[in-house]
Amino acid sequence: MDRFDDLLRLTRRLRLSRRESLQPLRWRPAADIYRTREGWLVKVELAGVREQDVDIAAGGRWLTIRGRRCDRECVQAGKSYALEIAYSRFQRVVEFPTSLEGARMTTELRNGMLLIRIVTEEVSGS
Amino acid sequence: MNEPHMPERLPVFPLRNSVLLPYTLGPFSAGRSLSLGALETALAGEDKQVAVFAQKNPEAETPARDDLYTLGTLALIRRMVRSEETIEVLLQGTARVRLVELEQTEPHLVGRLEEAPIAVESGPEVEALQRELIKLAGSYQSLAQPVGELDINQMVAQVHDPMHLVYLLGAMIGLEPEKAQALLEAPSLTEAMKLLHGYLNHEIQVMEVRREIAGQVQSEMGREQREYLLRQQMRAIQEELGEQNPEAAEVATLRERLAQAPLPESARREAERELGRLESIPAASPERQVLRTYLDLILELPWEAATVDNLDLKRAREILDEDHYDLESVKERILEHLAVLKLNPQAKAPILCFVGPPGVGKTSLGQSIARALGRRFERFSLGGLHDEAELRGHRRTYIGAMPGRIVQAIRRAGVRNPLLMLDEVDKLGRDFRGDPASALLEILDPAQNYEFRDNYLDLPFDLSRVLFITTANTLDTVPAPLLDRMEVLRLSGYSDEEKLQIARRYLLERQRAQAGLTDRRFEVPDETLRAVIARYTREAGVRTLERTLGRLARKVALLYAEERPVPDRIEPGRLAELLGPERFFPERLRTELEPGVATGLAWTESGGDVLYVEAIALPEGEQLTLTGQLGNVMQESARAARNYLISHADLLGVERPGAGVHIHVPAGAIPKDGPSAGVTMAVALASLYTQLAVRSDTAMTGEITLSGLVLPVGGIKEKILAARRAGIRRVILPEQNEKDLAEIPDTVRAEMEFVTAGHIEEVLGAAIPELAERMVRA
Repeated sequence: MDRFDDLLRLTRRLRLSRRESLQPLRWRPAADIYRTREGWLVKVELAGVREQDVDIAAGGRWLTIRGRRCDRECVQAGKSYALEIAYSRFQRVVEFPTSLEGARMTTELRNGMLLIRIVTEEVSGS
Repeated sequence: MNEPHMPERLPVFPLRNSVLLPYTLGPFSAGRSLSLGALETALAGEDKQVAVFAQKNPEAETPARDDLYTLGTLALIRRMVRSEETIEVLLQGTARVRLVELEQTEPHLVGRLEEAPIAVESGPEVEALQRELIKLAGSYQSLAQPVGELDINQMVAQVHDPMHLVYLLGAMIGLEPEKAQALLEAPSLTEAMKLLHGYLNHEIQVMEVRREIAGQVQSEMGREQREYLLRQQMRAIQEELGEQNPEAAEVATLRERLAQAPLPESARREAERELGRLESIPAASPERQVLRTYLDLILELPWEAATVDNLDLKRAREILDEDHYDLESVKERILEHLAVLKLNPQAKAPILCFVGPPGVGKTSLGQSIARALGRRFERFSLGGLHDEAELRGHRRTYIGAMPGRIVQAIRRAGVRNPLLMLDEVDKLGRDFRGDPASALLEILDPAQNYEFRDNYLDLPFDLSRVLFITTANTLDTVPAPLLDRMEVLRLSGYSDEEKLQIARRYLLERQRAQAGLTDRRFEVPDETLRAVIARYTREAGVRTLERTLGRLARKVALLYAEERPVPDRIEPGRLAELLGPERFFPERLRTELEPGVATGLAWTESGGDVLYVEAIALPEGEQLTLTGQLGNVMQESARAARNYLISHADLLGVERPGAGVHIHVPAGAIPKDGPSAGVTMAVALASLYTQLAVRSDTAMTGEITLSGLVLPVGGIKEKILAARRAGIRRVILPEQNEKDLAEIPDTVRAEMEFVTAGHIEEVLGAAIPELAERMVRA
């Protein structure tokens, strides 16, 4: 019975994997984007990622956040029983309606969220 | 930036029967401790990375370096679930790696790796190959079942890297491990593309063939449907033309037959009901045939039809005499029945049972009676029948159900008053399938069988007009309730004289005709017939005799055919030449009997026999030893005989003898039983105790009691005939059997002396002359 269940589950997985076969090699963290008075606030869900493992680059209208999540919290004494969190490299590209040329950026990692504040000249001028 | 480096050392996850290509995702299940260990280590690591290598030999339980392909895939564990003893993982390939060496094999494999990037060209060739691949993938998708599992167009739109595309397509079409490994090992992008092109083409061809086969099956089905439609159309056309379709015509014919058939009311109602059902059943339905067969049976059964009995007694007598010699009691009984029928035409027929040894003419007597009465004759054998349903039929609910033998025989006879002969009623079987004897009880009971219900017919049928005659060789195995319903008529064996008559009147003529000697001289004098009867046959009936005469006739026919001289008469002296050496010698009469030996008579299924009882005294012990396969009854009568004599020693004029005695009855291999050897044993023992010899020309039969009475026994005629065959001229028999002497042919009776006895003393006196004197003196 167990073997049969395994087989079923495996088959279901196989279907899933075919659909998921388009998954890129890097995982893609979720992001919220806010329009603020002085510019933009980008909130990226990056739980478990150290600040020094994140690399943020702006170019034209694109902001690229990439990096690597290592499993530093893994319990050395125990055995892994289930795994769902994506480790290793990630990458997220956010597109803006205007160019980010000359904008100032500050980043803060708080409660597992990476907050990127972007102050554009346009807003600061007004 | 913290670009992830490839660690030099990584746990190695060996794959059996599958290959993981870079960029693709695949589910894997790890059960081997080797694989489990590798995954455990990888899961404990920061990057959840593992190196995946396919096994060259899937059989290897603990693969060595040589069992693994050199090129494999660096993989990331995306998901993991642990069940009781296995770990299931979803792995995603990230890059191609080369296994430099296995650094560790315990508790799991750890390999030293180096990157093995594939050469990626660009240019018109790659472009062309890529387009071709996308086209092929499109046609693959259109053939694949189920459609829509994977959208190639969507994939092509999202994946821009040609290498990525190659690996994804390879995983999508589910390549065999060897092909997938070859794709993984391709040195360059163009090589990989060409390989994949070949594989895709092959897959498409396979799928096309499969579709073709499926199409053929479908067209096969289509043809049947078309045929059905055409038939329906034909039916419509027939109706339009006013023609009847075959099914309706069939029903109409049956209806007509039903209207004309003389049926009892209940049968008619049932038949009409079934006919109505027949109309509504489609032509192709198997039930139609079942119903049709049933209706045929109802219509063909002779519900009313009957033959008129020939009640001319004189003619009947002539016919019976013509076919059979003697058998007076049986003929008498038949004539009685005729007389009763003459006075009361409604009289119920008796149920007769002919009992007798094989070959005495039971079956042919039945035929002859049918002829005398002017009745149709049907017979079947009950021998070995062990299923009640054979007699009574199967219910119609069963596939292949049939009426029972009784109803079938009546249908064959075509009249409701045939003479139905049930042969071998003593050889009915009985087992878990039922007891046919019990079914016979109903059939053979005149009080019940006027409403006999066959399971198949399921309508009462009157069997009371049927004249049932059963035959048996012995009544011992016929169940008592069954025997009770029948009138038993015994046909005992024939004497040599009777056989001679039968041979001369019936057998010889029949065999002459068989051999084609009707117009030729074939004269067999009585002496010759006697010699054949005595030396070539030993039976109660005349079957072997007829066969032997047949052989004789054929030998003569051979002489005629070869145009060799044929003797005018076949003298007894020529028999050895024609029939071979004699088969039997007349039983050698013991001319002188020792004290302790007496001659007895036995009844067997095939007639009578002479047997000797031998007794000797044992010097020690009280035991009675009995040998010669004696049954319980016979052993008991031996005990009674001994004990009677011991307690009446004074009668014999001897001292009280010792109890130890051994009685043997040859032939030792033939089982014997029955009480009729009682007097013989008593005489043998008396002879032993007195040391006086028994008369050698005397045989005896009879049962004794402890008070010395002699009780009657059966089979007197057979026993006397056997004694005569053996040359014995004097027979001692129980007083109460005197009436049986009437059955003995006069010729035999004239030659022999019969002594009847009511008490053992009379037997002793008649058997041992000197003892008689002694008893008289006493």
